[in-house]
Amino acid sequence: MRFELLSDLETLRRGWRWGGVRPASWPEPAPGVPDRPSNLSWARTEPVRSFRLLIQRGLSLPFTRIMTDPQVEGREWLRELDRPAILASNHVSHADTQILLYALPDRARERTVVAAAADYWYRRPWLGRVVGLWLNTFPFSRTGGAREVLHSASELLKSGWNLLYYAEGTRSADGRMGHFQPGLGHLANQTRSPVVPMHIKGSHRVMPKGRAFPLPGPVAVRIGKPLALHPGEDSRAFTARVEHSVRQLGSGTEDPAVVGSWIERWNASRPRTPGASR
Amino acid sequence: MGRPGAVLEVDRHTPPTLFHFGEGVRLEKLPLGSRILYPPDPLDPLQHPERAIRRALSKPLEDDPLKALLRPGMKLTIAFDDLSLPLPPMAQPDVRQLVLEEVIELAAESGVEDVHLIAANSLHRRMTEDELRHIVGDRVFTTFYPERLYNHDAEDPEGNVYVGLTGEGEEVTLNRRAAESDLVVYVNLTLVPMDGGHKSMATGLGSYRSVRPHHNVRTLLGSRSFMSPRDSALHHACIRQGQLIEDTVRVFHIETTVNNRPFPSVVSFMQKREFDWTPADQATFLAVKQFCDLAPPAVKRSAFHAMRAPYGMTSVQSGQVEAVHEQTLKAVNKQMLVEVEGQTDVVTMGVPYLCPYNVNAAMNPVLVACMGLGYMFNFYRGKPVVRAGGVAILTHPCRYEFDSVQHPSYIDFYDEVLADTTDPMLVEERWEQRFAEDSWYRQLYRKSYAYHGVHPFYAWYWAAHAIEHLGDVIVVGGEREAVHRLGFKCASTLQDAFEMAEQTVGRFPSVTHLRMPPVLLAEVT
Repeated sequence: MRFELLSDLETLRRGWRWGGVRPASWPEPAPGVPDRPSNLSWARTEPVRSFRLLIQRGLSLPFTRIMTDPQVEGREWLRELDRPAILASNHVSHADTQILLYALPDRARERTVVAAAADYWYRRPWLGRVVGLWLNTFPFSRTGGAREVLHSASELLKSGWNLLYYAEGTRSADGRMGHFQPGLGHLANQTRSPVVPMHIKGSHRVMPKGRAFPLPGPVAVRIGKPLALHPGEDSRAFTARVEHSVRQLGSGTEDPAVVGSWIERWNASRPRTPGASR
Repeated sequence: MGRPGAVLEVDRHTPPTLFHFGEGVRLEKLPLGSRILYPPDPLDPLQHPERAIRRALSKPLEDDPLKALLRPGMKLTIAFDDLSLPLPPMAQPDVRQLVLEEVIELAAESGVEDVHLIAANSLHRRMTEDELRHIVGDRVFTTFYPERLYNHDAEDPEGNVYVGLTGEGEEVTLNRRAAESDLVVYVNLTLVPMDGGHKSMATGLGSYRSVRPHHNVRTLLGSRSFMSPRDSALHHACIRQGQLIEDTVRVFHIETTVNNRPFPSVVSFMQKREFDWTPADQATFLAVKQFCDLAPPAVKRSAFHAMRAPYGMTSVQSGQVEAVHEQTLKAVNKQMLVEVEGQTDVVTMGVPYLCPYNVNAAMNPVLVACMGLGYMFNFYRGKPVVRAGGVAILTHPCRYEFDSVQHPSYIDFYDEVLADTTDPMLVEERWEQRFAEDSWYRQLYRKSYAYHGVHPFYAWYWAAHAIEHLGDVIVVGGEREAVHRLGFKCASTLQDAFEMAEQTVGRFPSVTHLRMPPVLLAEVT
């Protein structure tokens, strides 16, 4: 008789996704299987919000600055946004979310939720709770149930939260940008929210796919002029337009159609209360 | 309403006098009968600076309102003074930020798309991103940096144009973007009378070719002093150059003045006259003195350079440069002028930690000479506070320490040029050209954060008038080798320095102490 307890445990560990979301290819769950994870609404209530603010200001933002010294361009587009927006960025690393949150003005950051892949971040409940607390994420399915997920995302937008959304659906392995999924356009169409194109560059060297801890390295974030659906424009065409804007930002363009003219940026950054910035 | 400047005669009841000592302070007893010159108290700042700026822009002096000069499709350049003004750097918001925001608001309303902002740093070092942001404010910075907000590069062959020769044969060059603009708006901050006027454009956006005609020993010896523009050959040359520039490009000038409040309330004892010190001021002095005595130089430097001045804007005027500058000088003189009767045998000055050329850097020995003998000595109108052949006593540690990023050419100037000669004329004749055209210094000026290769020469020329005028210069507390390299004498204590001075000016000399900063301008009759 051979002692196989360890290998059996290994077989069980590898064979099932404990506590994770059911893959789409599996048959309907039998009664008794837990429901899809909640959208973590507790993470957007007090005192969790205040606690997150402390973590961000005291720890995450200084750490991000020390490690990557992000060069941020176009922040004025978000400074005085008068309605919630979808922040659409390319995605090259796990470090992206923290860096993009760093790039946002304080007011926008504190009102931003992050769409996090449900089948990755919420496989383990404790991990889902940690990222929910730390980054204000909510589970976003990549494998099915799009209607429900879009519903919770649109509810969040309608209740005044900006949504940070990686429209490629996954991280790029080499820093190159993939195609945007049409869900972005659907969401913008459904909520009539403006979409702010953002491009992050350099973070794939900070935390490449497969790496657990970040490395120091320079990162640049460019934020473009917010885009809104044109009358009669369908969701796919709008998604393509956002993707084009993000690509243009990555190419270093100064095209006023993408980054806005200085007058537009100046007016966008006008303090709401006269003299408030002084 | 603050008190005017004062001349106090030291008697046995006079408290000890504060002397700045680089990154440190001292209290010294001056001989009975000495005079102490105090600057006027800070003037009350404008209650609503934004409103005052809007008013100045809509009712300029001898010019059309700025709004009427702006139109869509035009090329607009806004130039502004660099971080050499004011000292110490101003707590935010800097007055330039307030002015820039109003000017840019008008440009946005008028639909002027082509706008560039240029820091008029002349041959000074480039400003870092943070320094630019501090001056222009966050909103202007994020809107324009880096493509449309940048430092002037006096060594960019493509970025400068030759404008012509003045009637006196002075060459004039100008930043290309400014020269090719339909309108240049210059935003100035005048701290002392030598700033502003035609000098802003002619020097700030000029190059070595256009600065050389007035930053030379002959001109500076002919400026008695350069703090008094009407008596300054330097300013006369700048006016000629500025007039030529105005024939080339339309310039709308905006000048601002600030009051005399360089020290934050935490060190209010530096601002106050000694007889006004409260026990709290005495305690603060004691704490600061102990800190300065015990802390390593780098720690002291960080603490001093972190200081931000709570200056308040006292006036703003815009329009045609000469009319504007006349008003500016009135406002500056109102804040600085102190009437003094007769000259003195010995003048004492506490040299502080900061001069216009070492913001966020150590003050090297060449800059100590520039600050003490160039700036502080020249704060006079009419005739110098000290008589010809008199003695200047400076207090400063005068260490052999240089900032290798900001002042690379200063190191070589100290080691090579001053080892050869300290005579400004010979220095200019033998060495200037080589440093000015050195390709490595040029590279560091353009791409790093270094002062131009020729800059240490100008710092030295700044002191030329004092060196010629004075019989002796004594540095109290200075590093002996460094002080001797400058051609001065070294003393351990102020009392020793007075003893040494007596050998030059005779027994029982008259002594005057310039209690600055805050700065004062002595009107000597």
